[in-house]
Amino acid sequence: MPSRPPRTPSDGRPRPGRRPRRTPRALAATAALTVLLAGCAGSGGRAVQPAADAKPLTGGTIVYGHQQEPACVFGGWIEQAYLSTQVLDDLTSLDTDGRAVPWLAQSWQTSADGLTWTFDLKRGVEFTDGTPLTAAAVAYNVDYWMNGGNSTAQVWLGGYYESATALDDHTLQLHLSRPYPRLDVTLAQGYFGIQSQHALETRSAQENCEAPIGSGAFTVDHWDRGQEIVLLKNPDYTSWPANSQHAGPAYVDRIDWRFVSNPTTRVASLRAGETDAIYDVPAVDYAAVGADGFQELKHVTKGRPQQLSFNTVAGPFTDESVRKAFAYSLDRRKLVETIGQGVIPYEGNGAVSRSTPGYSQAAADTYDHDLPKAIALLEAAGWDAVDEEGYRTKDGKRLTVRLPYNSGTIIDADGAAILQGVQQEARAAGFEVDLIPVPPSGFFGGAYSKPAERDIAAGYWTSVTAGILYVNWRQNLEATPNYSNAAFYNDPVLEDLILQANSTADVDAQNALYGRAQEYIADHALSIGLFDRLSTLAVSPRLKGVWQENAQGGPVFHDAHFVD
Amino acid sequence: MTLTSSTDPALDAGLTQAPPSRSAGRTARRVLARVAGAVVVLWGAATVAFLAQVALPGDRATIIFNTRAGQPIERTAEELAAVNAQYGLQHPVLVQYLDYLRGLLHGDLGRSYQQYRPVTQILGEQVGSTIVLTLTAIALAWVVMVVWVTLTAGRGPRTSGLGAALDTVTAALPHYWLGILLLLLFAQRLGWFPVISDGGPVGLVLPALTLAVPLAGFMGQATRTEFERALEQPFVVSARMRGQGDLGVRLRHVLRHSALPAVTLSGWALGATISGVVVVESVFTRRGIGSVLVTAVNSQDLPIVTGVVVLVAALYVVANLVVDLVHHLLDPRLKAS
Amino acid sequence: MTTTTSAPALPRFRTRAARPWGLHVALLLTAWFAVSALWPGLLAPGDPLELHLDSALAAPGPHHLLGTDEAGRDLYSRIVHGTAPALAIGFGASLVSLALALLLGGLAALAARPVASVVDRVVEVLFSFPSLLLALLLVALLGQSALTEAVAVGVGTAPGYARMIRGQILATKSSPYVEAAVTLGHSRTRILRQHVLPNAVRPLVAVFALSVGQSIVWASSLSFLGLGVAPPSSEWGALLDAGRLYLTHAWWLTIVPGLVIVVLALTATTLGKHLQASLERNDR
Repeated sequence: MPSRPPRTPSDGRPRPGRRPRRTPRALAATAALTVLLAGCAGSGGRAVQPAADAKPLTGGTIVYGHQQEPACVFGGWIEQAYLSTQVLDDLTSLDTDGRAVPWLAQSWQTSADGLTWTFDLKRGVEFTDGTPLTAAAVAYNVDYWMNGGNSTAQVWLGGYYESATALDDHTLQLHLSRPYPRLDVTLAQGYFGIQSQHALETRSAQENCEAPIGSGAFTVDHWDRGQEIVLLKNPDYTSWPANSQHAGPAYVDRIDWRFVSNPTTRVASLRAGETDAIYDVPAVDYAAVGADGFQELKHVTKGRPQQLSFNTVAGPFTDESVRKAFAYSLDRRKLVETIGQGVIPYEGNGAVSRSTPGYSQAAADTYDHDLPKAIALLEAAGWDAVDEEGYRTKDGKRLTVRLPYNSGTIIDADGAAILQGVQQEARAAGFEVDLIPVPPSGFFGGAYSKPAERDIAAGYWTSVTAGILYVNWRQNLEATPNYSNAAFYNDPVLEDLILQANSTADVDAQNALYGRAQEYIADHALSIGLFDRLSTLAVSPRLKGVWQENAQGGPVFHDAHFVD
Repeated sequence: MTLTSSTDPALDAGLTQAPPSRSAGRTARRVLARVAGAVVVLWGAATVAFLAQVALPGDRATIIFNTRAGQPIERTAEELAAVNAQYGLQHPVLVQYLDYLRGLLHGDLGRSYQQYRPVTQILGEQVGSTIVLTLTAIALAWVVMVVWVTLTAGRGPRTSGLGAALDTVTAALPHYWLGILLLLLFAQRLGWFPVISDGGPVGLVLPALTLAVPLAGFMGQATRTEFERALEQPFVVSARMRGQGDLGVRLRHVLRHSALPAVTLSGWALGATISGVVVVESVFTRRGIGSVLVTAVNSQDLPIVTGVVVLVAALYVVANLVVDLVHHLLDPRLKAS
Repeated sequence: MTTTTSAPALPRFRTRAARPWGLHVALLLTAWFAVSALWPGLLAPGDPLELHLDSALAAPGPHHLLGTDEAGRDLYSRIVHGTAPALAIGFGASLVSLALALLLGGLAALAARPVASVVDRVVEVLFSFPSLLLALLLVALLGQSALTEAVAVGVGTAPGYARMIRGQILATKSSPYVEAAVTLGHSRTRILRQHVLPNAVRPLVAVFALSVGQSIVWASSLSFLGLGVAPPSSEWGALLDAGRLYLTHAWWLTIVPGLVIVVLALTATTLGKHLQASLERNDR
């Protein structure tokens, strides 16, 4: 690994002069504690900047510190999408303006009725098992997703997708039952990575989970569970996306994709030179890491922000004015900006985040902090008595609402602190918020997934368009269940707006419809926003060319190279 | 960290040891009984672990599916049927149990729900790192303990008092707290050791120290009592009269005599240190069965949890057999007979 | 399985009459913890969960004695108010643990042979699981809550105590005065009631004190792993875990709750040892 920084005394150590030198005896236990406590205000590790004339290098190993370890490289979760985009190529890629640009598909067109999409695939692309990329292989992939190979791809295309056919080796047709004009950008998410058909057919589920075969810039060498995934450069890479910064295979030889779940440790490892790049810089460290000379990248993910959805079929929030009272009782902006250290953006819109095309500012501005109004609404709704602990009651029953949240994965530490703030602020209006942290096991086991079990659901869902509204608000009907409808809100009016929007080709008209859907959600207080979900990276100055893909803000290492 | 002497299983065990049998036949029978006992413990451990799996609330197929998808929602019957078939969850519990035991006999601990891989393979990759850490920690604890006790025990009220007090304090230090202090000071601020403990020997220092310090304090409490008692024994007096130096007497006679409880403890410590390992691996981002276990508990990847339980029980059994042996070699009373 | 570890007895500590100051400090601290647990408002009048968004992450100082957390909550208030949940878990776990240990240890030592040896095996099996592993299993089974934490820690530590009690009873059974009682022709029940049980149970008072301290440490370990009581509870382990995110910026959020846990564990140990020593003196 020629390009790893040598550990010189000037690298990753506290600078001399920052705090007084101690005598050697200070190493005694008690004195060490004093040093420790006294010296903690800032934590050293200013990045050593490369010389101005530093030359780009080829080769080397990027050690990248990531937060969460998924079960598989490919799957329906953002943590899997981050990994699979290193190994698999999509049909399209998203540019900074939110448009789809060629990746495995070099061009595409839609039929006049919007029901048939024809993709012309790049020539001469091979999967890393030596089999060629063909239209038939891509068609096989689409059916594989829809048959359960990728649950998230499934909910996006479900209700629209009919079939995929290969016209010839390089021409793929996707047939839809209803027009879906944003299909090209939707396909730019990591859930739509194309794998070798041969590998899917002949290898075990385990092999395809751990080391899927794609045509991407890197291949999975091995997975050291609990520690790291080692990715090796694909030397024969030919199918970089159109928005790539260079043509040709990756510059670096290898990526050590380490799992470092503790945020403090991640930051410390970057400062100490043990990692070259890290994911998810905690808000509290963000300013200092940037000031110390590390490059920071920030991406506000599109789609559903971190929000609170109210249970509209059972409990106190079936009453719209109680939902509104809850919204008015919170100073969400102050809460988010304090705990988020000004790094995490406040988001008032519960339907989609500010970076999503068609975002409605009006929906975001619907509820300000207005305690008297919250109290007036509650009193009008019959919650007019207050018990000895200050909580409102109606017919002797306390206004208690249950807010389970998935601690650790969906809601991170900053998010948990913000929810605790919500609990405190809602209390002023007389809500007793029962904050229930649920470990991932319980959550994924279906705990708190039913209407009788919760009053508020917290969570996000990233996407590239406001089409996420279809996933989150489509009606949950017997024949067509939609368990992703967290508010249990079945409303043909809202669904109709979303369906119309989904199938509207003209971008402005579509955005107007999506905007109306967001305002509908806000006006009925079905969901209120808290903060926008961020994907952040911090990169050593010795590593250049790292960028965030525009679908979910994951790191792209294809163009990355060390300088010296 | 929770190494109070009160929970100490074996402190005075050496004194209550049954007299060893003389005939070879009896020895063989005793060995056989040991092995049978070990098998019973392992079978019990496997059963407890299996029952825990079955008793877990929530539908296992739903958990498997949702964790893979990252969405906490209900699933349709067809989606679940596929997962059930894959893991044999549709069979009656008794059949699952027998399948599980049968697999165990072949060294098959089942298949991970989340990783699609055999648990044996997953743990096989991790156990080495944990064993290295544990053994290093125990060795380190011995060194620290022996030095500290030899230097401070029976040296007048002030020095002995200080020694004993430090034993008590260090034995009470929680691993997470000590670990964080060491990490903050020596890795983050001074930069002497890596923040992320990778495979190298340098990265081993802080995690091993975190485990060793409380263990040394704990063993020190046990040894110190014996040590001070031994110092007053006639053979020590006679050794001194033969003109041996103080340090020589302490190391050659007293230590050997007073180390028995600590030897017994070491076997127990190998098992107990696993508790500490879970925490320490988390603090130092170190690979090993502890971090695998926490991840698995979080994602209810039960075959892995089960596998760790059985593995740890096996380690415990082996460690105690070894300790028995060492005990046998060290104990003068046993030797004499 | 292994005879070397199957006959434990209470460890003997040197009684040091020369160190009464340790006991005095421990008694003072016990008083402090007791007041914190029963009347936290006396020591910290403020609401421990009140947000002071304008003074988030403030260092220890005159306004906030031990500093504030990321939402400006006062750490001193939270630690004082966190005493009750921490102690509740410690006492709860110790009760569970010792009750279970008495049952298992008593059966193993006193029941008729087949029952005793089965119980003996069960204890042996449970003992082969490290406490935290057993507790983690239970947390996975029962979900995360204060009650689970107490039960999990209690069950996790019970096998060790069960072995200890069993050894204690067996030792008493074979002691000279019990043998004397047998020779005198006293009935079995009378011997049990008058000699064996009191002698076996009396040390448990001291063990209970030790156990409370240790249980709190175990419980906070679970919280530290994110598997115990979760924020916003002010339970000390939960405080410590939440503070970890701010370790490099606000050390007090991690170091201080940890220090409090260590101090409590030491206090309990000191009390336990002195109790034990005085019990042994009375025995003689």
